Amino acid sequence: MSPVTLRTSRDLPPTSRSLDTMEWNHTGSWRFLRPRYQDKVAPCAEACPAGEDIARVQMLLAQGAFDRAWLRIREENPFPGVCGRVCSHPCEAACNRGEFDAPVSINSLERFVADHARRQGLAPPPAEPADSGRHVAVVGAGPAGLTAAHFLRRAGHDVTVFDAREEPGGLLRYAIPAYRMPAEPLAWETGLVMSGGVRFQPGRRLGEDLGWDELSRFDAVLVAVGHWAPAPLGVDGEDLAVDGLALLEDVRRGRPPEVGGRVAVIGGGNTAVDVARTLLRLGAEPVVYYRRRLRDMPALPGEVAELREEGIEIQTLLAPARIAARDDGGLDLALTPMAVLDEDGGQRPRVVPSGHPEIAVAVSAVVTAIGARPSPGTPAAGLDPDGSEAVALHLRRIRPRGEWAERPPVFLAGDLVNQNRTVVAAIASGKEAAVVIDAALRDRALGDAWSAIRVGRKGAVSLNRLAGGDRAFRLDHVVRYDDLNTIYFQYLERKKRPRITLDERRTGFDEVHLRISASLALSEAERCFHCGQCDHCDNCYLFCPEVSVRRDPRAETRQIDYDYCKGCGVCVVECPRSAMVLEEEPR
Amino acid sequence: MPIDLPPSERMTSGHLACPGCGAAIAMRFVLKGLGDRVVMVIPACCWSIIAGPFPYTALKVPVLHTAFETGGAVASGIRAALDVKGDHETQVVTWAGDGGTFDIGLQSLSGAAERGEDILYVCYDNEAYMNTGVQGSGATPEGAWTTTTPTGSPKATRKKDIMQIMAAHAIPYAATASIAYPEDLVRKVQKAASIRGTKFLHIFATCPTGWKVPSEVSVGLARLAVQTRIFPLYEVEDGERYTINVEPKGYLVDAYFKAQGRFKHLTAEDLERIQERVDHGWSRLEALARIA
Repeated sequence: MSPVTLRTSRDLPPTSRSLDTMEWNHTGSWRFLRPRYQDKVAPCAEACPAGEDIARVQMLLAQGAFDRAWLRIREENPFPGVCGRVCSHPCEAACNRGEFDAPVSINSLERFVADHARRQGLAPPPAEPADSGRHVAVVGAGPAGLTAAHFLRRAGHDVTVFDAREEPGGLLRYAIPAYRMPAEPLAWETGLVMSGGVRFQPGRRLGEDLGWDELSRFDAVLVAVGHWAPAPLGVDGEDLAVDGLALLEDVRRGRPPEVGGRVAVIGGGNTAVDVARTLLRLGAEPVVYYRRRLRDMPALPGEVAELREEGIEIQTLLAPARIAARDDGGLDLALTPMAVLDEDGGQRPRVVPSGHPEIAVAVSAVVTAIGARPSPGTPAAGLDPDGSEAVALHLRRIRPRGEWAERPPVFLAGDLVNQNRTVVAAIASGKEAAVVIDAALRDRALGDAWSAIRVGRKGAVSLNRLAGGDRAFRLDHVVRYDDLNTIYFQYLERKKRPRITLDERRTGFDEVHLRISASLALSEAERCFHCGQCDHCDNCYLFCPEVSVRRDPRAETRQIDYDYCKGCGVCVVECPRSAMVLEEEPR
Repeated sequence: MPIDLPPSERMTSGHLACPGCGAAIAMRFVLKGLGDRVVMVIPACCWSIIAGPFPYTALKVPVLHTAFETGGAVASGIRAALDVKGDHETQVVTWAGDGGTFDIGLQSLSGAAERGEDILYVCYDNEAYMNTGVQGSGATPEGAWTTTTPTGSPKATRKKDIMQIMAAHAIPYAATASIAYPEDLVRKVQKAASIRGTKFLHIFATCPTGWKVPSEVSVGLARLAVQTRIFPLYEVEDGERYTINVEPKGYLVDAYFKAQGRFKHLTAEDLERIQERVDHGWSRLEALARIA
């Protein structure tokens, strides 16, 4: 647009009247700072060990795009139906909304979207053909093994999963009780992994029905057989006790033991809580004995709270000393009172006998749940710092020495290597395994690539970033509460997850948590701040003093017209969710 | 919830406001609330420059640029002319700065209000004569630096309470508004436009240049003025009925004053005195709202 030209007085209008707009005046030349749309990393996504794109998933949910939300999760995690039930959800602890009122109920929403997908029978896009010519063996069909298998298959490799048991799922299928992890949603998600082209060989126990001669025919091997061997109690009469994991497995196989009366459960982790709640449902009267205090229990706080709601007693600062058989067929359990020795910052404190006299309790059975050890058949070299090395945060590789020199590269993942043995950490481990093994099979060094594929600074891996998807273009800045303009958010109550009644919980294995309704899911997803993700709220457009934010007619895209933008930066400050940046104008 | 404003756009890019200009943001919102049938009167003020030199304009509505003291009078004349033509629908809007309202144009505004002229008088208040280089006005707050109230002897007197002056004329509608609360602002423009008689809007419009603040905080500072109760958002109907529209969080005034270069010489005692004054003003406003 060119300015009006008035050459002589005859060109002048009769009164001093404007003849054109000011749009010829390209005020962009005034600018020395440049605002720019720039999505960033939300703290939930950083905190999620599986690296799910949580804030974007919430945005899709709030728009009612449930199918796309499900696909978005599956880009990073093939098990939203599992994680929506049993995940320790560190995302919620990191949620910026927690500092405002209460975190978004991310875990319930993940469960909602997974259940929606299952009820609708959604199918993920078909996998590419396995045309790399490489074959990978995955030993162990738990969350780590199946996650690795899923992503390796999608990376174009031929994958065979071996497992000692009949069905895939590992602990999810054979240990975590059905009231937390019902069989059907698990089977649907493991089924999707298999129908994506992963081969499954059941009944192949490493070291018994599966040997290294056979595994050595593969181009790479991932061992993720988990921790199934019971840890010894180390007290007299421990052979009279029952292993908690074995008990849980019997129940999940439909062979519940005959139990009744008072049963002692030894331990303070999730297994102890699962065992106690299972015993209650079988008609026994469980009591949990834990050597430290309630607050030191490694079990998920929500699980402990539900256990107490169900009326199960927890006795703390008591360690087992001795188990002895009684004439009436019951057991005498002797317990040593403990005292906290020191409390040095964050870690579980050490405890020692307090010096008080022992306590004896008469019980019908003692069940141990004090942790487990690597399953039999796990290569010893894989757990040994000399025999193997850490090649990622949750992955070890056996050094090619001795008998391992002739074998293909062998990796260990999941509970075998994880400090934090949660389901989501196992999934994170499986993702790292897929990334590392794919790179190894393609003779590609990862080296500096890690920083480009991790989300934030807590180590989560994003396969979207690895593939150069939209997440690769996000600024690696994690949006904190102070980055937000919270004036634009209203206080909204966090939606409670509906549950079955306490009576139903005490007497049966029905799932405790119910699915939230679609309307509840919509309104809960609307609570999300979408930290660092433009959700087209249009504050940038409305507050622009230059009218220089342009929208397409359907208001789906926004662009800054740098011909006019003076670089005042109001848009960046008024963005509620820190999805813009203000930078020095490039020269 | 996204902010919901009418989509119409009657201000163009390319205007001459400084980066982050609150008066430009205010104009954009007011035009969104007014619709098509508008004649605008702009006495001398920043917007005399912002709108662009002859033969250009940044506004897609008819505008008369007029002399400093004539905002009320010219609007009255245009109103009379339109009425003679039988046009009682077109809204005549005076768009004046604080200098042209609080000081130089006060008599013509008062006259128009006293006669009950059917006009909407909008004062965008950036608290000094900004376009001529930051000279103090009747709207400059106590303690502020301007070129005529320099740091050694900053403004010693209080900001004139223009809302009380207008309420004393018992006009049907007077309201304060802020660029940080666009929905409230547009609602007030629409409400004013629907009322016959003299209507007055007092809009808080940050001036990053004159207040010595970074341009990006322009809207945020205006919001802080509301939240600290320094510039409460309220309406007065018929000079009597007071309604408070936004319940402020009641932040301490320090946050507002310390953010601005024009106040950087203020001492803790100064701020304490100002806080007391703001608290008193707020209780007075609350009391007035209770009477209504």
